[in-house]
Amino acid sequence: MMIRKISALLVLVAAVSGCASKPYWTLTDDANKVAQSKSFEMTVPEGWNRTTAADTWDQLTIDDKVQTVLLERMAASRDGTGIHTITVTRRYPDTAFPAIKKKSRANMLPLEVADLYVSDLRKRSGLERLKVLSNKPAQVNGKPAYQLVMEFKNEDGLRVRIVSHGFVDNTGFYTINYRAPTLYYYERDYGDYAKLVRSFRLLKGAFDPPPKVPGWAKEFT
Amino acid sequence: MNRILWLVLTSFLVGGCATTGGASSFTNASDTTTVGENERRLWHEASGFDTTIERSGQIYDDRRATAYLQSVMDRLYPEFKGKIQVHIYDSTQLNAFALPNGSIYFNIGLLARIENEAQLATVLAHEAAHFIERHSFRQRVSAKNASAFAVSGIPFSSLAAISSVSGFSRDLETEADQKGYERLVKSGYDPRDAHKVFQTLANEVKALGTKEPYFFSSHPKLLERIEAYKELAATHKGGGRLGAEEYNRVMQPIRLDALRKDVGQDRLKSVILVMEDNNLRRYYPAAGYYYLGEAYTRRDQKNDAQKALQAFQTAEKLSPNFAPTYNRLGMHYMKTGNKIQALQYFNKYLRLAPSDARDRSYVQQYVSSLK
Repeated sequence: MMIRKISALLVLVAAVSGCASKPYWTLTDDANKVAQSKSFEMTVPEGWNRTTAADTWDQLTIDDKVQTVLLERMAASRDGTGIHTITVTRRYPDTAFPAIKKKSRANMLPLEVADLYVSDLRKRSGLERLKVLSNKPAQVNGKPAYQLVMEFKNEDGLRVRIVSHGFVDNTGFYTINYRAPTLYYYERDYGDYAKLVRSFRLLKGAFDPPPKVPGWAKEFT
Repeated sequence: MNRILWLVLTSFLVGGCATTGGASSFTNASDTTTVGENERRLWHEASGFDTTIERSGQIYDDRRATAYLQSVMDRLYPEFKGKIQVHIYDSTQLNAFALPNGSIYFNIGLLARIENEAQLATVLAHEAAHFIERHSFRQRVSAKNASAFAVSGIPFSSLAAISSVSGFSRDLETEADQKGYERLVKSGYDPRDAHKVFQTLANEVKALGTKEPYFFSSHPKLLERIEAYKELAATHKGGGRLGAEEYNRVMQPIRLDALRKDVGQDRLKSVILVMEDNNLRRYYPAAGYYYLGEAYTRRDQKNDAQKALQAFQTAEKLSPNFAPTYNRLGMHYMKTGNKIQALQYFNKYLRLAPSDARDRSYVQQYVSSLK
């Protein structure tokens, strides 16, 4: 019993240290305003702070099984992640739409990408009834993209809105999302989000092959 | 044979009454005003659940279809007019359920698969029987049934309501079958099609290997029940209302919308099953081929691109005014480098699509990029 407990503790420590010791992004300028991941960078809006997690993986329940999906993700919040967040994510081509088990292809049109993304989100717990309020073409870093505005009610009946800009290329599927309650927060901080979208830049690292699943992550698959 | 079948059904029923306390059934709407404290509490819970469903936007907004379903219910049970309320529930899962307070919910997925009014009446009569026979009150609710709602994305707080969705015990379901069948015949419907509802759904469960909460499917005796319905109907002298024409007229938009939602929720197998099956497809509008094309595009397996193109071309031929088809055909030709064809299809889309169509701004962008 004791050995089992110690093993579980070691796995936990390995998982935590695995996340913290190899961040894929850093704040690069003196004023700590530019957040850089391995494959993208952006200017963090005034007053916003990155969250402590430097995510290189995510866990999803797919077909009733918990699965580890590799990705690059940076999140920032001004008033707390429980209230609102801006999340920038790169998903690798093979696991671009993990909940519906679809890959991304560089020749996908933004409308196709938007449709797949919505289907993928609707497979997530709590988002089954996600409504699409608008879906229109956009540009991110000079690339053809979609802009989706979606809404759902959380467990407390609060209307939460997500605006998402996204595009695919041969290095994967990129999303820049802002998620906030429609009550007060969404409108107040949308301008900050729009600035961040305009500052988004792809970096050379995006062309590197995706990393392998670390040993500790396999504990979760 | 008929007597033996009812004997079997009654034997289930007697067993049920012995263990559930045997509350007497309602005979009309005024009976329902004199329920005891415990049952009133159950109704209160159910009303709360009605409110939750309404507030969460899960009532399907089609007044014509809702009025039609209510009219069928009122024809079946005129003595409960105003008490049994039928709602259309915005889910493509093949299900229908009754709450303890007389609210009946019918999923659009099930409406899309039913072929005529007599089949609709079979399900409505069965669900109303659960209310009239006070099955929720008689059945102890099992917490394990909660999983039935979890997959529908319904925020739930009422375990009593949950039992209505995931099904009652075998004896109560049998009683609802028996009472529902009697009422179906009494109301002038042709019962010879009744078994087809269960048969179609059983076939689909098998084909899709689905694990969803499903009308009647959790009961192991489904096939026995199909046979029982068949044999009972065989003794019917014939005649009675089928109501196929009116049913199909009212349900056409719902069928198309159910396909659209199935594609959106990545239930591609279901769309392909329906649109590739001659028997099922004949009740769907021709524009359903567009969603078949969408399903193949998204599934993206070997030869699916070709199958998708064929489906879009069939949609173009059989439903020439359905604008979304032209967008997809335009996208196909744009990707394959045929700019002239792509522009023709995109321009046709822009001519046919409403000014606020979802894809219009994308298509305008494609046209600009091709010029």
